[in-house]
Amino acid sequence: MSTIVRTLRNLRRVGFKDAAHQMQYIGDTKAGTLIGIDRFGNKYFENLEELPLRTRWVDYKEAEYDASHIEPGWHAWISYLVDGPPHADKVMQSGFRPWEQSDHRPNPTLSRAAYKTYSTTRPKIAAWTPTAAPR
Amino acid sequence: MLPMARPAISGALSAARPRFVASLPRAQPLAALSTSSIKSATALERQPSAGAQQLTASGKARREVPLPSQEKKEGAMQYALTTLDQIANWARQSSLWPMTFGLACCAVEMMHLSTPRYDQDRLGIIFRASPRQSDVMIVAGTLTNKMAPALRQVYDQMPDPRWVISMGSCANGGGYYHYSYSVVRGCDRVVPVDIYVPGCPPTSEALMYGIFQLQKKMRHTRITRMWYRR
Repeated sequence: MSTIVRTLRNLRRVGFKDAAHQMQYIGDTKAGTLIGIDRFGNKYFENLEELPLRTRWVDYKEAEYDASHIEPGWHAWISYLVDGPPHADKVMQSGFRPWEQSDHRPNPTLSRAAYKTYSTTRPKIAAWTPTAAPR
Repeated sequence: MLPMARPAISGALSAARPRFVASLPRAQPLAALSTSSIKSATALERQPSAGAQQLTASGKARREVPLPSQEKKEGAMQYALTTLDQIANWARQSSLWPMTFGLACCAVEMMHLSTPRYDQDRLGIIFRASPRQSDVMIVAGTLTNKMAPALRQVYDQMPDPRWVISMGSCANGGGYYHYSYSVVRGCDRVVPVDIYVPGCPPTSEALMYGIFQLQKKMRHTRITRMWYRR
């Protein structure tokens, strides 16, 4: 919450439900135009009247949000690398790049898909079944 | 454990599978060129058994069980304890006092995190000079053999609960100095590490992302629930 006037003004513009949602997740009330929704369901907003570097923001779909939920194209947009969203910007429509993943995968840390270390070298210990002579 | 992260991964995988399979045949000729024999990635080499069923590393039949963190809540007691855990985790994650263990250039990026651009104070992160008042240790930089006992001692002086963030390649696994005679090959040889932040050095954003991951880990810690289970 920045100032009372700004909070109340944006509350009037976005309504009580969205304002409460924003206070929970952003800590501020922001009103802007909806630029787009990505495949995952995150909503991207823009308001050019805000201060610089605060003009673009995202409303995550998940409550347990993570910056890696943003796709590369939208990441470029929200980080001010390009002017337009990925479906409208010329730079983002450079065609198929074979090295690029066709889908976006969020960071699997702390999930079951997380990376587990393993060794590819030949082990120095070999297992065997011991044979004990009866006494 | 992370119910909201899983649909994202599975959804993304299922969407991509047909295209991935279509591009797979290109990889096969490369595999045929390889002359090295296939080595299994287990700690112990074991003789190939007649049974074609896939076994685990311990030799038992493979069985999928939910992780303790994936179990559902049942009973009034667990619901009450979940609320208690949420309160405790909220307190833990929102006042995270790191013990700064700046050893090399990564420490400069760690300092940038506390400057106004990334302003860690708004997250409740305040650097403490004393290990007895801190919760998390950020090992930033190359850990040398000479410094390792001091690192361990500082870690032992920290009160529970305590976490460790390993920041940068050198702290993760030796990094550039992996083959040096005087460098510990990763600070996880000395202290248990919760979060590894890759990079050489990682940017301040990367460290902040690592802190967010640690906060996520704290959020999913089942403090009183595990006590009750026992």
